[in-house]
Amino acid sequence: MNAPVANTPTPAAKTTPAPTKPPATAADSPIPLDLVALEKQLRATKAIGVFSKIALKNQVDDLMKKFREHYQGRTKTTMAELRQSYDLLMMKVLTMVQDNDKNLAAAIVSSRAAIWDLLADPVKFAALDA
Amino acid sequence: MKKHIQLFLQSILVAALVVMPSLAADDEALKKDLTSVIALQGLPCGQVITVKTQAENDYAVTCKDQNKYHIYLNDKGRVVVDKSK
Repeated sequence: MNAPVANTPTPAAKTTPAPTKPPATAADSPIPLDLVALEKQLRATKAIGVFSKIALKNQVDDLMKKFREHYQGRTKTTMAELRQSYDLLMMKVLTMVQDNDKNLAAAIVSSRAAIWDLLADPVKFAALDA
Repeated sequence: MKKHIQLFLQSILVAALVVMPSLAADDEALKKDLTSVIALQGLPCGQVITVKTQAENDYAVTCKDQNKYHIYLNDKGRVVVDKSK
């Protein structure tokens, strides 16, 4: 992980100031989202039982349906309500994996915002849903 | 001959000792799985303490808080949790 580094000027730096690019921070670099890999990890994890995986899949499908209906104007569900449902579902998944599959939990945490970006954009959602 | 019988009985005992913890682990895993399923639906339970398999993918469970549920996979592939009396 790239931690921000404090630039303390040295005496040499004072005499010859060279234009340096600030070091990239975690916030600057976009997190690459690999949904296929994440799905594979979720299918393979032993931290979630088979029945729970099916129940989770049901809830993911329900949420996708809500988004679809929202974008088609067939429901009064607001984006804020969809966000709440999305956050709740992510919390449920995290709760199930955080103790026994820390790698997957970390992958989910780091993908949360990127997945929301896909869902919250009608064009990206349409591509995802196709 | 007597020694053979003794060896046979010993091997059965060893096999039982190996298999039984594995079955118990399976049972615990199922209880944990069904506890998670109930929690996912937002229903009260605490922890599943008994599971009765009624059919394939069809269970009657009792929770620590005395709630009882019928958990099954319906023909549409959905996990259904019904409260039992």
